[in-house]
Amino acid sequence: MTRSSRPATALRVAFLGVLCLFMLIPLYLLVINAFKSQQDILTNPFTIDLSRATTEYLGAAWNSPEFSIPKGYAITLALLVCVNVLSIGLCVPAAHVLARTPRPLFRAILMFFVAGMFIPTQVILIPVIFVLRGLGLMSTFPGLVLFMTATTVPFTLFVFTGFVRVLPRALDEAAAIDGAGRHYTVWRIIFPLMRPIVATAFILNSLSVWNDFASPQVILGPGSGIYTVTTGVYAAVGQYSADYTRVFPTLLLAVIPILVIFVATQRHLMRGLAAGSVKG
Amino acid sequence: MARTLTKTVPERAAAAPAEAAGPAARRGRRGWRGWRDAGARLTMVAPALVLYVGLLVVPVGYAVYYSFTDYNGFPQQIPEFIGWENYQRVFQSADITDSMVVTGTIALVGAILVNAAALGLALLLQRTGGFTTFGRVVMFYPHVLSALVVGFLWQAILGPQGVVNTMLEKAGRSSMPFLSDPTWALWTLIFVISWSLFGVQLVLYLAGLQTVPADLVEAARIDGAGRWQTFRAVTWPALAPTFSVALITSGISLLKTYDVVVSLTGGGPAGSTQTLAYSILAVSFPGRQIGLASAEAVVLIIAAAILAFTVLALRRRAEEGAESIG
Repeated sequence: MTRSSRPATALRVAFLGVLCLFMLIPLYLLVINAFKSQQDILTNPFTIDLSRATTEYLGAAWNSPEFSIPKGYAITLALLVCVNVLSIGLCVPAAHVLARTPRPLFRAILMFFVAGMFIPTQVILIPVIFVLRGLGLMSTFPGLVLFMTATTVPFTLFVFTGFVRVLPRALDEAAAIDGAGRHYTVWRIIFPLMRPIVATAFILNSLSVWNDFASPQVILGPGSGIYTVTTGVYAAVGQYSADYTRVFPTLLLAVIPILVIFVATQRHLMRGLAAGSVKG
Repeated sequence: MARTLTKTVPERAAAAPAEAAGPAARRGRRGWRGWRDAGARLTMVAPALVLYVGLLVVPVGYAVYYSFTDYNGFPQQIPEFIGWENYQRVFQSADITDSMVVTGTIALVGAILVNAAALGLALLLQRTGGFTTFGRVVMFYPHVLSALVVGFLWQAILGPQGVVNTMLEKAGRSSMPFLSDPTWALWTLIFVISWSLFGVQLVLYLAGLQTVPADLVEAARIDGAGRWQTFRAVTWPALAPTFSVALITSGISLLKTYDVVVSLTGGGPAGSTQTLAYSILAVSFPGRQIGLASAEAVVLIIAAAILAFTVLALRRRAEEGAESIG
C-alpha cells in the first residue's frame, strides 16, 4: 500500500491534522467558555482557569424559561419520527407504482414530483401559512409535520423510484402468482429490500428536519408554546447575543445530545448518506 | 449498492422501454380493465400527490397569485390586483436589488468554496483508515449543529467583542471588523455558511470517488501518468455526475440562506448581508407586504430553477460529448 512516498503521506496527514484542529476550535471554545463568567470570557477567551470554572451558567441555561432543552429535544424528535414515518409510508407505495408503470401519465407524475426538489422551501412559507390557516392547522404540531413531510416527498420519492426500478420485476410477478395483493407485495416483499435507500432517505430527511429553523419559526410561531431545538435556541439567545454567559452554555447544552448521537451513529450515518446520495 | 444508484437519469430512462414489454404493460393497454388497473395504481400514488400538491405546489401557485396583488395578509382583506407593480418594486428598490446581489454572491462564491473544499478533502480522505474516519467525522460535524447554532457560535467568535478580536487586542494588534464592516461581513458570512455546509458535499464526493474505476487509475499510473494527469483524465470524468449533483444541492442551499443570517449578522451592518430569503421572511413578511414578499419568492424560485436546469443541461451536453468520443 505504499502508493505515495513517505514524505507526501506525512505532509497529507499534517495538513489534515491542522485542518481538523481548525474545524474543532469553535467546538473547543464553545465547551470551555460555557464554564466561565462574562468577565473571564472577555479577558481570556482561549484558555480556562479550572479553579474559576463554574457550572452556574450552565444551570441557568438549563432552567431557562424560554427554552427547556428536554422539551425542545422531545418535540424535535417527535417531529423527526412523524415526518419520517409519514414520508416513507406515503413514498414507498407511490414509488413502487411509479417505477412499475410504464404509462406516460405515470412518467409525467414522476417528473412533476421531481420538479419539487428544486423549490427552495423556505421562501414559500408565507403562502403555506394561508393554506394551513385554511385547514385549521396553523400554529399546530400536525401542521408543521404535514408541511415538512411535503418538503421531503419529492426527493424521497425520486430516490425510491430509482431504487425500485432496479429491483427484479420477477419478485412482483411471483408474489402476484402466489395471490399477494398489491399492498402486501409492496410492504412485505419490496419494502424489506429497500432498506439501504430507506436508511439514506431517513438520514437525509432527519438532518433537514433537525436543521430547519425557518419552518418551525413561521408555522409554529412564538405564541404556540411549541418549539424545536432551533427555535428554542433562537428564543433563548437571539435577543442576548452579547451576553456570552447565555450564548455559550445554551449552545453547548443544545448541541451535546446531537453530537453524542452523531458520533455514536457516524458509521451508519456516513455509509447511509453515501449509499443513496449519488442520486443522479 | 452505491453503484446501482449512480445510474444516471438517461440510463434509467433507457431502461424503461425494456420494462414496457413486461406483462403488466400488456395488461395495462387492454381497455376497461386496464383503466381500472391504472385507477388502482393511482390510489397508491394519490396520498403522496395530495400532500405534495397541497403544501408545496399550491403555495407556489399562491405565491405567484399574491405577487400580482396588494395584500396585507389579514383574512378580512381581499387581495387587490395590481399587475406587475410588485415586480417593479422588487427590481427598483435598492434594498431588494442589493439583497439579490448578496444572494447571488453567496450562491456563486459559496458554491465554488464549498465544492473546492469538499472535493479537495474528499481526495485527501478517500483512503480508509482510523485517521481518515476521524477526519470525515470532524469535517461533517458542523452540519449536525444546524446553521442557526453555527451562526450564533461564530458570532461569539468573530463579533466585535468576540474571541478573535479579544485575542488580537491582547496581542496589541488592532481588531478586525469581521462582522462590523459591510464588505467584511459578507465574506465572513460566506465563510461561515461554507464551513457549516461542505460536509454534505464531502460525503457526496467520497461516494463519487468510489465509482472511479480502480483499474483505470492503475492503468493510467502504469502508463506513467502523473497525479494531475490521472485526476484530469480518469477521476474527474468519473466524478462528473457527482459534481453536478453537488453543485445543484449546494447552490440551492446557498440560494435560500436564511438561518445563518438571522444568527450571525441579522442582515447587517447596513443591510450588507441581507439575502433574498432573509428579506422575504424577516423584512417584507413582518411588514405585512405579502404581495412584495411573494414577488421576491417567485424571483428566487425562478433563480433556483434556472440554476438546476442549467447544470443539468450542461451535464447532458457533456455526457453526449463523452459518448461521441467513446
